Amino acid sequence: MGNLDLQPHFDNEYRWGFVTDIEQEPFPQGLDGAVIRRISATKGEPAFMMEWRLRAYQHWLTLREPTWATVQHPPIHYQDIYYYAAPKTASGSKPKSLAEVDPQLLATYEKLGIPLQEREALAGVAVDAVFDSVSVATTFKDKLETLGIVFCSFSEAVREHPELVRQYLGSVVPYTDNFFASLNSAVFSDGSFVYVPKGVNCPMELSTYFRINASNSGQFERTLIIADEGASVSYLEGCTAPRRDESQLHAAVVELIALKDARIKYSTVQNWYPGDADGRGGIFNFVTKRGECRGDNAHISWTQVETGSAITWKYPSCILRGDNTVGEFYSVALTNHHQQADTGSKMIHIGRNTRSTIVSKGISAGHGSNAYRGLVKVLAGAENARNHTRCDSLLMSPDCAAHTFPYIEVKNPSAKVEHEASTSKIGEDQLFYLRSRGLSEEDAVNLIVNGFCKEVLKELPMEFAVEAQKLLAVSLEGAVG
Amino acid sequence: MLQIHNLHVNVAGNDILNGIDLNVRPGEVHAIMGPNGSGKSTLAQVLAGRDGYEITAGSVHYLDQDLLPLTPEERARAGIFLAFQYPLEIPGVANVQLLRTALNSLRRARGEAEMDAIDFLEFVKDKLMLLGMDDSFLFRSVNEGFSGGEKKRNEILQMAVLEPQLAILDETDSGLDIDALHVVAQGVNSLRNAAHAIILVTHYQRLLNYIVPDQVHVLAGGRIVRSGGRELALELEQKGYAWLEDKASQADNAADLMEARL
Amino acid sequence: MITPTAYRDALSQIDAPNSFAAARQAALNAFLKTGLPESRQEDWRYISLDHLERMPLHAPEDGLGILPALEDYPGALLAYLDDRLVWQDTSLPPRVLDTLENAIGDGIPAWAAESFGSLAGTASLTQLNAALWREGACLRVPAGERLRQPVFLRFAAAEADVMLYPRVFVHMAVGADAILVEHFLGDPSIEYWQNPVAEIVLEAGARLTHLRIIEDSNLATHTGLSAVHLARDSSYRALNLTLSGQVARHELNLALAEAGAEARLDGVFIAAGRSRTEQHLRIAHQAPHGKSRTHYCGLADGRGRGVFDARVEVQAHADGNDAQQTSRNLLLSPHAEIDAKPQLEIYADDVKCSHSATVGSLDENALFYLRSRGIDGEHARHLLMQAFIDEALGLLDDTGLRDWLMPRLLAGMPRVQSLEP
Repeated sequence: MGNLDLQPHFDNEYRWGFVTDIEQEPFPQGLDGAVIRRISATKGEPAFMMEWRLRAYQHWLTLREPTWATVQHPPIHYQDIYYYAAPKTASGSKPKSLAEVDPQLLATYEKLGIPLQEREALAGVAVDAVFDSVSVATTFKDKLETLGIVFCSFSEAVREHPELVRQYLGSVVPYTDNFFASLNSAVFSDGSFVYVPKGVNCPMELSTYFRINASNSGQFERTLIIADEGASVSYLEGCTAPRRDESQLHAAVVELIALKDARIKYSTVQNWYPGDADGRGGIFNFVTKRGECRGDNAHISWTQVETGSAITWKYPSCILRGDNTVGEFYSVALTNHHQQADTGSKMIHIGRNTRSTIVSKGISAGHGSNAYRGLVKVLAGAENARNHTRCDSLLMSPDCAAHTFPYIEVKNPSAKVEHEASTSKIGEDQLFYLRSRGLSEEDAVNLIVNGFCKEVLKELPMEFAVEAQKLLAVSLEGAVG
Repeated sequence: MLQIHNLHVNVAGNDILNGIDLNVRPGEVHAIMGPNGSGKSTLAQVLAGRDGYEITAGSVHYLDQDLLPLTPEERARAGIFLAFQYPLEIPGVANVQLLRTALNSLRRARGEAEMDAIDFLEFVKDKLMLLGMDDSFLFRSVNEGFSGGEKKRNEILQMAVLEPQLAILDETDSGLDIDALHVVAQGVNSLRNAAHAIILVTHYQRLLNYIVPDQVHVLAGGRIVRSGGRELALELEQKGYAWLEDKASQADNAADLMEARL
Repeated sequence: MITPTAYRDALSQIDAPNSFAAARQAALNAFLKTGLPESRQEDWRYISLDHLERMPLHAPEDGLGILPALEDYPGALLAYLDDRLVWQDTSLPPRVLDTLENAIGDGIPAWAAESFGSLAGTASLTQLNAALWREGACLRVPAGERLRQPVFLRFAAAEADVMLYPRVFVHMAVGADAILVEHFLGDPSIEYWQNPVAEIVLEAGARLTHLRIIEDSNLATHTGLSAVHLARDSSYRALNLTLSGQVARHELNLALAEAGAEARLDGVFIAAGRSRTEQHLRIAHQAPHGKSRTHYCGLADGRGRGVFDARVEVQAHADGNDAQQTSRNLLLSPHAEIDAKPQLEIYADDVKCSHSATVGSLDENALFYLRSRGIDGEHARHLLMQAFIDEALGLLDDTGLRDWLMPRLLAGMPRVQSLEP
């Protein structure tokens, strides 16, 4: 209990908003077949990969941007975006070792608190650092290799393990899935790849740190994690971007595959630049994340703390195909100023004795708008399916908004599905009570918010939980009063 | 320590307090009694600095400074503690977390070093022992799912940890069984010394059997209508509050209305 | 696509005063332009009306239908058959209870001007009702008056493939108090379509208890709308029962338009056989200190599908609102389906809102307990189902209508099928 102590960092600024002045190697603006061929060629991809990208592009051309989410934004001009931006290296490809990485980049990650020198690295966390469109460094790779674990950039996986990529890519999120997933499938530049072989428990947390630096560029990373039979892995994802007046698009895809008896835990602390207090700039975060419990007894757990981005649009989901599989989704989404979040989860119960849990905590402050949107679907064959969903919203200003849009569809009478939601104002009585015990208003707010989010924060690995609490405190700076 | 002079308070257009005068010196225990709606709780809330109360006249001084401009947390840090009549529930926040955060806020304000988690746990366990309370209290969410008696005991635990100079107990005794009443009395008496002062706001005489007051004041219609020693409380118990009705003005009804809403 | 001929023919048969002819024509044009709702529309994702396109729908031909036996109605009664008033039993004066046609005469009177035709909105099915309603019913309770007996409106269908557009207007003046029962039914051997609209205005401090019973043929389609406007401190209590029908959808749009308005919405819906039922609720808290309580129980049996789709909205600066919504559902067969979509949409901060939804089956432990006390399985299931829906039936006692309604409700309950092999 006492170890989750509050160390509020009151800091008016988005501290991750600096720009690294590094020579970039951008492609021309806009998107057509040629750009996609060039991305694929630059990365030295096999033919199957380029064909897949082109099919995705052709499909994307037939789609329209979805409008059902409760978010509003100016039109995105897809032909004004740079679809590929990489820090220039002497050799033109990924550095072989840290010694070859541009010192400017290493300094950037130091400044972000993500040391890439292994001797200084966080004990027990292997990091893959993605800067704009490419992975710049992966730590502890050798150590993991001795266990047969593949942890590398996606580009590298395409070259080194094409058979795994070919087998699993698009098997959970096909390139036809939705507008943003199709776009990502066509143009994705890099991302992380994890394969944990049969029976192996990955001994350390695997982590990717995403950084958007270039202006006017989109980031389209792709993450694919496969836990083979009986394997387990815990994966962390963190994100930041510089402060810029124009908005930037981030359309990622994450696919998780858990085979029989496997276990994947995926944690996100999302802190993309949220825009300024008047809603200028900020990242448009349109992300498709989905995991499939493909074998019996598999277990996938999503935990997310979303404090950044001008717009968050993501629904980390679980397809519970195997019998006795378990899907979990724990989320905190905070919107302040003019941020908008439309987030939630889908739990698709297919196998027998499948269980799912959804815990969603939305905090709305300033003019922020926060929506939970979720689907719990129990198919006719899903005997004894169980779901419990809890969605709570905390309202902190008269101009904010909080919505709950759950869909529950049950076709099996042995299922038991329970959904609860509540919305309430941060209590003036609670604030007064805490202040009368000597806490400042900000400390009181943080204490209440952390209490409100506790069920979710406790799911995060410890370092991340502390970081998440700080982020919540910073993001709520000045939200009450 | 505390000087209240001619205090008038208005809530949402209704006069609740109509000229309170009260002087509390270090080491003293004052009991404020009166029927429901007489303004007792309003007085306690005003002293702790709750919003929504308009001071239309009068002054309150605490340790020679003007109390009224201070925020609730500044008052707490200056040593004022209000045990709430209806303690709030704060889901997800462990009791021990609140206690330590509050204590360290006070210590920081006093320029003292903060207490680390281990020292604090030792410190708070002594307090628990003193009050005959269980360790499990510490790790439950603040007041969540507590019985009425547990909530009141929790208020006393907070008081014992924060060691205020001026403690105001707002009907802490109401609804308590005899065992819980003992715990409350023990907590209060352990705080009692030449430097600390205590104001007990209560409807019943019963608590005063365990905490013997130096002075008893009877509040009616937003005014102190009588003051005296302990014997006044016993007299009230025998006669009830009915005889006060003549003294209660129209404001009493207004106060009734307001307090019923609070 | 829809075939406009049937609708145009229906309009040509209506003998409306000139002042309304243009409005009816405009409403029909609006409907023909948008057509029937489609499953692409979010509000219609669970219920399809495509089958209506394949039916030889037509307007009622007078005198063809045969009146189903009249039950005993404990109050004032207007009984309609295929949209014609065929029987009345009431001591209320026409200024209180009459057909809508008589009540509004040649032009919309002042007391209805603000709400008549506008409260119901402009959805395509509502436009269709506005174009094709006949006779209708109007209840006007004067200020401060309390009707001693419930008012029953019975809308029956007797002709095959007929389309019916019952229309009701209720005006509760300041402080008025009444109980209204709408009862929809029809010949169980025929297909038909009832598309009723009710507009209900509660002025300050008025109180209305509204029971609405869908007991249509299991071959029938029912797409009803109730639109309710609540002024300051008024109170609307409703019990919505959907007991039968091939497709039965009830949409309830409630506006708590002024401070202190209160609503209690209870409902029971039963989807047995191959029926599809949907309860579609929109509760808009538009002013401070409103309160709404919603409690619906759903049962799905056979190949039935029951849908509960409810949205509570709290508009900006509508402070001090309190909304609670509960949806309890039982699945009684391996081929039945329940869909629940309880939504909150909140634009104010000083609110207390909650909802909960559950889908499950009968409690096997309770069942076992009853059986171990000697009650046979079928009976035990029935008892548990009754207990399950009873939570939503509190208004039956408040209105004294339990004895009248319970037998129909029990008759509508699913024939118990065992889940066991």
